[in-house]
Amino acid sequence: MVRGRKKKITWIIIALLSVFFVAGTISVFIVSQKVLPTDDLRLAREALTVAKDAGADLYAEKLYKESVQMYDSAMVNWSRENSEFILFRDYTRVINFAKSSKEKAEEAEEASIKKAANLSQNAEAAFVSLEKKIELYRRLFKDLPLSKSVFDAHNKSKMLLSESKIAHESGKLKDAEILFKKAEIYINHANHAASKMLRDYFNDYSNWNNLANNAISASHGGNKVILVDKVAHILYVYQSGKAIRSYEAEFGPNWMAHKERTGDKATPEGNYHVTSEKVRGNTIYHKALLLDYPNDEDRRRFALNKKKGLISRNAGIGSLIEIHGNGGKGFNWTSGCIGLRDRDIDDLCRLVGSGTRVTIVGSIEPLSVVTKGLDF
Amino acid sequence: MKSKLIIAIAAMGVAVLFSSCAKVPQTEIDAATASIQEVKDAGADLYVPEAYQALVDSMKSANEKVEVAKAKWFPNYTKAKDQLAVISQMAVDTKAKSETRKVELQAEVEAMIAEVKTLNEENTALIAKAPRGKEGAAALEAIKSDIAVTETTVTEVEALLANGDLIGSNDKIKAAQEKATAIKAELEEAIAKKGGR
Repeated sequence: MVRGRKKKITWIIIALLSVFFVAGTISVFIVSQKVLPTDDLRLAREALTVAKDAGADLYAEKLYKESVQMYDSAMVNWSRENSEFILFRDYTRVINFAKSSKEKAEEAEEASIKKAANLSQNAEAAFVSLEKKIELYRRLFKDLPLSKSVFDAHNKSKMLLSESKIAHESGKLKDAEILFKKAEIYINHANHAASKMLRDYFNDYSNWNNLANNAISASHGGNKVILVDKVAHILYVYQSGKAIRSYEAEFGPNWMAHKERTGDKATPEGNYHVTSEKVRGNTIYHKALLLDYPNDEDRRRFALNKKKGLISRNAGIGSLIEIHGNGGKGFNWTSGCIGLRDRDIDDLCRLVGSGTRVTIVGSIEPLSVVTKGLDF
Repeated sequence: MKSKLIIAIAAMGVAVLFSSCAKVPQTEIDAATASIQEVKDAGADLYVPEAYQALVDSMKSANEKVEVAKAKWFPNYTKAKDQLAVISQMAVDTKAKSETRKVELQAEVEAMIAEVKTLNEENTALIAKAPRGKEGAAALEAIKSDIAVTETTVTEVEALLANGDLIGSNDKIKAAQEKATAIKAELEEAIAKKGGR
């Protein structure tokens, strides 16, 4: 009886083990048929690395981020599936995420290469454009009595351009872009302010042209007439309608303005006459020709401006405007007078004297000639 | 007797089946993740970007190895553990490299600041020797303002350096160095021409 029971149990165990073995074999077969996402994940990871190397995290940020998110989703799903019972795992979503990640990474790489090339091209074009603007300033505006902020903006733009070029050379294309855009803002501000100043100044050109033509006409018949061109920084001596001498001239720091009051460092514009000649000992400027500033027109304008409140009630009109020596410094340093080199004032004093007409104009030439046709 | 033996074998088989499910090396994963974060906090992504990226890629690869192991009937995390150990060591090395690069960069920037300051002083001294004709004097005025800009840049770089922005200060001081060197060359050329006359 007991023997029969044992036999029965043995058969049950053998049957169970057989079932277990068969079930195990089937399970192993099923599992071995499942495709793991290993290769897809590896390919996605490698594609991400290649995209990053191509700067996709900077130049194709959105696509790159999407690719990273898909890779991360693939990993999360893989981990989740692995936590299921082995026979119930399904890696389809994992593989799909990995494949999408790879595709996005490849798109990001391609987009990044294109964007970087564009940025580089734009930077190079911007460098050319900025250099032209800086050169324009150097050729047309550098001698204008510009405000410190304009001057500083020009200098700042040059430094930013250098920084942008360095960033470009080291492959930091976005930094280069930010820097050249900043440089552009500064140089545009400087050039705009300077060109406005120049254009506004030349609004008086027709008046200057009349003054200059009258002065030249007055030189007919052998009279010597002094004609001063402030923009060109030249003092001419005309006789019989021809310029017989020309000297480089310097003015006050505020030379573009018409003199209106004491201490404005401006050089007056209009018709004047030499009232006296100062020789060495009578002037600290080697030699000097004193002009009859202010003339009637200056007084009228001064009174009107005072009435309008444009000039302080306590301000004086100024005086002692001269053509004198000690010049040749290379910049506008006088208090509103016309500075010549000593040898030039010596020569001028030999040619002219008291009573000589002196016409001071902003420019003899029109703006288009002064700017040599440059587009600004 | 025979049945006892069979029962024992079956029990052992089941025991082996379940006991062989090794645990995920979570401690090693956490340690490696923390070490990478530490390396990032040390600025390695900025100062040694290639080494930092290699570290991040290795971590991703290690995570994949963990999942590959988990996907098996009998997980074996030895390869993943080995890689995680390598990553932890790599992190230490990368952090050290990053620190070294920072020190080098700081020294480079400080040296360039000193160089630009010296150049500015030399340039200011050269201005006194430069020709002062009409064009010369005007050019000197422009050069003086350029020197002023490089001086301002040096001040800005010193502020960036004080804030720990080594990369920004390095790029900026390079531009100032180029400018100051160009100014010096321009002045020396003008002085040489003057001497040649």
